[in-house]
Amino acid sequence: MRKESKRSTVVPEHTVSRGDMLDRRTFIKRTTKGAAAVAASTAVGGMPWVTSAMAAVSQDTPDARAIAGAKALLGRRQVRQLTILEPSGSLGDIVPVAKEWTRLTGVEIKYIEVPLLEIAQRVLQEAVARTGAWDLALPASFALPDIAESGVVVDLTDLAQKYRPDDGVAGCQMLYPIANYYKGRLYGFGTDGDTYMMFYRKDLLEDAQEQTRFQQEHGYKLAIPETWEELDAQVKYFHRPDKNLYGGALFRSRGFIAWEWNIRFHGKGRWLFDDNMKPQINSEAGVKAAEEMLAITKYLDPGARSNGLFENFEAYGSGRSYCNIGWGGSQKYFWDPKKSKVYGKLAWGMAPGGKVNGKKFYAPYFNWGWNYVVNRYSRAPELAYLFAQFAYSPKMSTQAVRFRGGYFDPFRTCHYTDPVIREIYGDGFLAVHRQSMTHNFPDLYLKGHGEYWDVLDANLQSADVGKKTPKQALDETAAAWEKITNRVGREKQIAQWRFVKAHYPPELAKILA
Amino acid sequence: MYQSSTLLRMLKWLAVIAAMCFALFPIFWMVSTSFKPIQEWSTYPPVWIPRQPTLENYLALLNPAALAGSHSIDYKVAETAWRPLLNSLIISTSATFFSVCFGTLAAYGVSRYKSGGESYPMFVLTVRMFPPIAVAVPMLVMYSFLHLTGTYVGLVLAYTAFTLPLSIWMIRSFIDEIPREIEEAAVVYGLSSIRAFWRVTFPLIRGALVATALFIYILNWSEFLFALSLTNGALTTVTVQVSNYFSASSGQLYGPQAALGTLSTIPVIFFGYLIQRHLVRGLTFGAIKR
Amino acid sequence: MKATVAANSTRNVEAQAEGIRPTLVQHIPFAVWLIVPAEIVLLSVVVFPTLMSLWLSLTSWTPTSGVNWWQAEFQWLANYVQLLFGDERFRAALLRTLLIVVVGVAAEISIGLSLALLFFDDFPWKKIAISAIILPMMIVPVDAANAFFMLFRDVGPVNQLVRILVGHPVRFAWLSDSNLAIVPILLVEIWQWTPLMFLMLLTGLMALPQNQLRAAVALGASRWQLFRRIILPLIAPVVVLSLVIRSVEIFKIFDPVYILTRGGPGTSTETLSMWMYDNGFVYFRIAYVAAAGFLVLLVVLAYVLLILRPLSRRTAAER
Repeated sequence: MRKESKRSTVVPEHTVSRGDMLDRRTFIKRTTKGAAAVAASTAVGGMPWVTSAMAAVSQDTPDARAIAGAKALLGRRQVRQLTILEPSGSLGDIVPVAKEWTRLTGVEIKYIEVPLLEIAQRVLQEAVARTGAWDLALPASFALPDIAESGVVVDLTDLAQKYRPDDGVAGCQMLYPIANYYKGRLYGFGTDGDTYMMFYRKDLLEDAQEQTRFQQEHGYKLAIPETWEELDAQVKYFHRPDKNLYGGALFRSRGFIAWEWNIRFHGKGRWLFDDNMKPQINSEAGVKAAEEMLAITKYLDPGARSNGLFENFEAYGSGRSYCNIGWGGSQKYFWDPKKSKVYGKLAWGMAPGGKVNGKKFYAPYFNWGWNYVVNRYSRAPELAYLFAQFAYSPKMSTQAVRFRGGYFDPFRTCHYTDPVIREIYGDGFLAVHRQSMTHNFPDLYLKGHGEYWDVLDANLQSADVGKKTPKQALDETAAAWEKITNRVGREKQIAQWRFVKAHYPPELAKILA
Repeated sequence: MYQSSTLLRMLKWLAVIAAMCFALFPIFWMVSTSFKPIQEWSTYPPVWIPRQPTLENYLALLNPAALAGSHSIDYKVAETAWRPLLNSLIISTSATFFSVCFGTLAAYGVSRYKSGGESYPMFVLTVRMFPPIAVAVPMLVMYSFLHLTGTYVGLVLAYTAFTLPLSIWMIRSFIDEIPREIEEAAVVYGLSSIRAFWRVTFPLIRGALVATALFIYILNWSEFLFALSLTNGALTTVTVQVSNYFSASSGQLYGPQAALGTLSTIPVIFFGYLIQRHLVRGLTFGAIKR
Repeated sequence: MKATVAANSTRNVEAQAEGIRPTLVQHIPFAVWLIVPAEIVLLSVVVFPTLMSLWLSLTSWTPTSGVNWWQAEFQWLANYVQLLFGDERFRAALLRTLLIVVVGVAAEISIGLSLALLFFDDFPWKKIAISAIILPMMIVPVDAANAFFMLFRDVGPVNQLVRILVGHPVRFAWLSDSNLAIVPILLVEIWQWTPLMFLMLLTGLMALPQNQLRAAVALGASRWQLFRRIILPLIAPVVVLSLVIRSVEIFKIFDPVYILTRGGPGTSTETLSMWMYDNGFVYFRIAYVAAAGFLVLLVVLAYVLLILRPLSRRTAAER
């Protein structure tokens, strides 16, 4: 019990007054200080600004403002259709919003569907093709820097100042706005709460016999792990292949392995780069993190090195692993009694961290996520922006997240109190999800993210199968990262890296070195 | 020809059956998966025959509205699979037709007249050697400039161009097998060269033509890269549609993917069936061989 | 040839007799007309992209650089130098792909030929057997790869069968052992395209002169002699053709790699196409990939010329 109470206060809740990143105006002031050099022009696609009509708008919610703005625009323009380039499977989350939009403005929405993993390159192809075939797109958040650098998406900062997407959202703040920005300018609206969190088997955790035995073997109470050391001990403890129970269904496959390492690395208290973009990943902390991660591979589900997302759901949902890592989508699968056998048997925890200076801390992590962006070559960029603001607004985003078959997870504070959303995810999960979303550190939002991450991922997996030592793997990755940074332009990267660093959760930023 | 002992004949049949089993097993798995509910797609131990066979994977393809609200595959796609199946059919058939037609003409020229010179065949093959991924963006630039993105014409043109080297090579090699003395004999009898070719040589290479057509049809049908890059979502083919059954909330949707795979073999099998008689009838009169 | 020339000059003479000068149509030899349709299609699609690729390969352009591709920074052969001497992953992918090509093609041709020989004689259910055997070709590559992924997972049916055969629980890590992972990938390729080899070789075998074969048998040739001395040389052109065509295709193998291992574990199954996909569509290094494309073209060309020359020389000699 002592541990429990300590845990609830070790990371204080963000409140509106504290989180200055949540206050639009201060945020803009802070971040545009160094962004003058990269400020884009205010003329958006050459469209004239309708200032007289805007003066008449007096609605107090972002979605109402968006609708009013759209109607004002449509008075002058003949555009009656917007096209959205969407990643496969997201349509369920977009259609309810789109239908409401069409009802209120008369503007039809059409869709271009693209396989999920190909959407970033499709957006970039538009930089070359300039067809204007789509007005809005939903690329993954980590692709935003590359997309912004290519010039294919509109800088939305000025439009946002005009239409104020964050005014009138009291009680429903966006919990993770950092991914919307690149170098201080607004480029997209996030629509998904992809915080990476842990799942545990509550029935095993709370079993009296397990508790006693664990206490005997390890000297401390069996409870939701706060650090990776504790988690690894539990994974090893619960690994009983003869009884068809594996320690964990964590990922060791390509495309996934680097994420876990990233959390472990942060749990050792280091930044990925220093202030001059020199990688710190191959420091002793990084190597240790890798070694510890690879040490538990043998206690994981047998398919850990090749499992994709679906295999992972099935592996954990069948009840044959103690713990798992995943997102809201994972929870939707596990909390569905028709699909999984672990319904009712789950406990959740934030991604474990580590111990620095004797103090334990969690290191929750946000990876993936989706953002609405506006095409520079669209025939109606301002109208497209308004749809994005509409979809991003508290009221409409709740509609989107409510769709059970989609994959937008909660990302605004009021999502957590919506009855439909509560029924889909369950209160236990939502409580931890919200905590995680409030305190998670961002992904590596840099130009060239794909390359940085893929090299790390490939090298870590090489180390996992024994082709390289962890030190070699991380040394090679660091060398490759330096090359990438030099190729992209060190000064450019430093600017964005400092921006991202500045928006780490404050309590974590204090700990990291 | 040879009188085989019963043992030898049995071994032969065994080998053929083994080959058939090896060929059919993964296909069986795919078809079986297409009838499995989501809980059985990827279990341990694996489910061979669906215990609760269902049509919902096919519904997800062809009539997703029927699944709305169901807990298993409530998955919205931008379009049902009907349109992509039709698109693939149109594009593959047209591209194959043009490729084989133009290819036959060119193959005849290369074989009989060395049209284009000695190195023409190799030059044409280099088109096939260049990795398509490396040329995808330049193709896109050209296509968007010519407003060909997302058009039937655009894809048919690309597919024809990229399969012409194969048509030319395959058909040429089969024309090479037919001695030109036969055509020359026909010419002496008053036929023009092209008539001679059409009346005499063409029927003899029909089997080969048909095998080539099948191969090219399959290549066109399964092409993914250009179908993804050169269309703007206006035109989806089967291969792109299959990749759309992949969502962030579940990874690969094996069931619908397998269902679409099963459905999409039907046109190809049908095409193969139509040409079967020409395939087996590739027997020649023997005497024409040198 | 003589017949055509004769025919052409007759036409010219006729034209002159009519007092009309031979038109363009009649000036262009018939031979050229035959390849005109193919050429128009080929050139219209291929010329611009090739030139643009060439230009790009000499620059450092990426779509994320923010400049137009024609304004990209020119850097001569830097990409090529980097690829050949500085990019270990590219070189590894190149060698790995070469290995896959050689092993894959060898397997496909030997199995295809053996099968075709088995089908040489008639037997009752021949048609059904042929249909069954060529079915793998007709499966969309993504689905074929999916099927093999499901089959070769650690907990999949293949390991199940192995366990039944061997007796005790042996579990091969087909997809995650850096030495084994190439096997399922090769198997997908062989499974899917041996039917094509089979088909082509069967067509070739069917075209063999029956008389010659029967004569040889009557003269006392054994099975092996028949095969080695008569059948093989006669179908050599088809074998060479299959070798060339399939080799060129296997160099581009992608779907099995992408779905089965994504190039892993680590980079141990990264083929050229997988490397290009990552560098082109994940890292967005379009110009770099264009340069790699040309290098691959040279390699494949060298490979094809290498196998063509000795083989065709031998074919000619044996004729």
